[in-house]
Amino acid sequence: MSERPTAQELTEAIVEFLGGEILPTLDDPRLRFRMLVALNALSIVHRELAALPTEDDSEQRELVRRIRAGDVPPGTLAHVKADVEARLRVASPRYLDR
Amino acid sequence: MTTSAIDSDDRTEMQEALEALLGPVSEPVLLAGGASKEAWSVDAGGERLLVRRAAVGVIHRHTLSLRHEFEVLEAAYEAGVKAPRPILYIEDLDGREAFVMERLDGETIGRRIVRMDVPAGLAVEMAEELAKIHAIPRDRLPFLEAARLERMVDELDEFGEPHPAIELGLWWLRENRPPARESVVVHGDYRIGNLVVDERGLVGVLDWEFAHVDDPVRDLAFGLVRAWRFGVTGKRLGGIGDAEPYVERYNELTGADVRPEELDYWELAGNVGWAIGCLTQAQRHLRGQDRSVELAILGRLGAEVEYEICHLLEQAGV
Repeated sequence: MSERPTAQELTEAIVEFLGGEILPTLDDPRLRFRMLVALNALSIVHRELAALPTEDDSEQRELVRRIRAGDVPPGTLAHVKADVEARLRVASPRYLDR
Repeated sequence: MTTSAIDSDDRTEMQEALEALLGPVSEPVLLAGGASKEAWSVDAGGERLLVRRAAVGVIHRHTLSLRHEFEVLEAAYEAGVKAPRPILYIEDLDGREAFVMERLDGETIGRRIVRMDVPAGLAVEMAEELAKIHAIPRDRLPFLEAARLERMVDELDEFGEPHPAIELGLWWLRENRPPARESVVVHGDYRIGNLVVDERGLVGVLDWEFAHVDDPVRDLAFGLVRAWRFGVTGKRLGGIGDAEPYVERYNELTGADVRPEELDYWELAGNVGWAIGCLTQAQRHLRGQDRSVELAILGRLGAEVEYEICHLLEQAGV
């Protein structure tokens, strides 16, 4: 599944925010230094994620194509819901306690 | 360049531009939120004002220009809708389009409103204001466009990402469409979060940029969407009350006789629309139109809305 933003794109957004908006507001030299180190660590994660192969989403695309064509056999919803649940366990696990 | 340095230059220029039009004004304060439009708080001649101005370089499709938004606000105010008094449209305020309106006192942050001690009558008041909005004559605002359900499909297809849950929602909406009602002027984003509320109740309706012409029940049901309950999920109407008194009062005032299954249909449509909205917001970040973690993360949090779509489809017996 190719969820967007990908983990790599998310780390990139955080690097931009911390480096562009938070770092300039830090006056404490010790905090500034630690922020630079943290940004460096995050950049390592970013590059490591960039090296990963892209996930195959052909099955999802085929499913979407069939639903669009009105081909919705029994069990489709259960299958789709289980998939959303798996994504939520990563994106927002507390939402599943609802 | 730091954010505060930009703000300070901007503020001075903003103040000078406003003073040229309104006379002496207090120092403008840029309020939080609103990526496509800025909101500045300023006082002039003893009046508490709010200036809405276009943000730099943001082109947002499917929303009204500030000129049209101002005209909608004027029409709503004339129709007796509780809304900020529109004061002045400005074609060029320091190089950008803007308008000035009254600044209302009260709470607008949804998360806070659902935890406030709001009066039980708030749900009924919401119905009353909506009935007034839906009664605005269409020819009063001839530039408003009619909505099409198909636009949601077009938007989804632009992203090129597979989202089976959204697709299932769209499929069900196509298969189960209720008989069309006569289209009316709608607010387009009528929910907790776009209303000013205080301990006495509803103070005013804000954020008119999504106004268009549509099925009235779609507008009525949008406030039921789970995301706008701000965590108080047991209260179907925006985390502040039950849907029944809200719909009953709306029916009483409009004679619409909205049926529960019609409300369910449009609640699901509202969720599908917001699931696609989350992807749209994430795209604004990914395409570099508006880089921000807040927008980016919506691309992932959309899974919450997709889960709700699945839940509602189960309820509907799919």
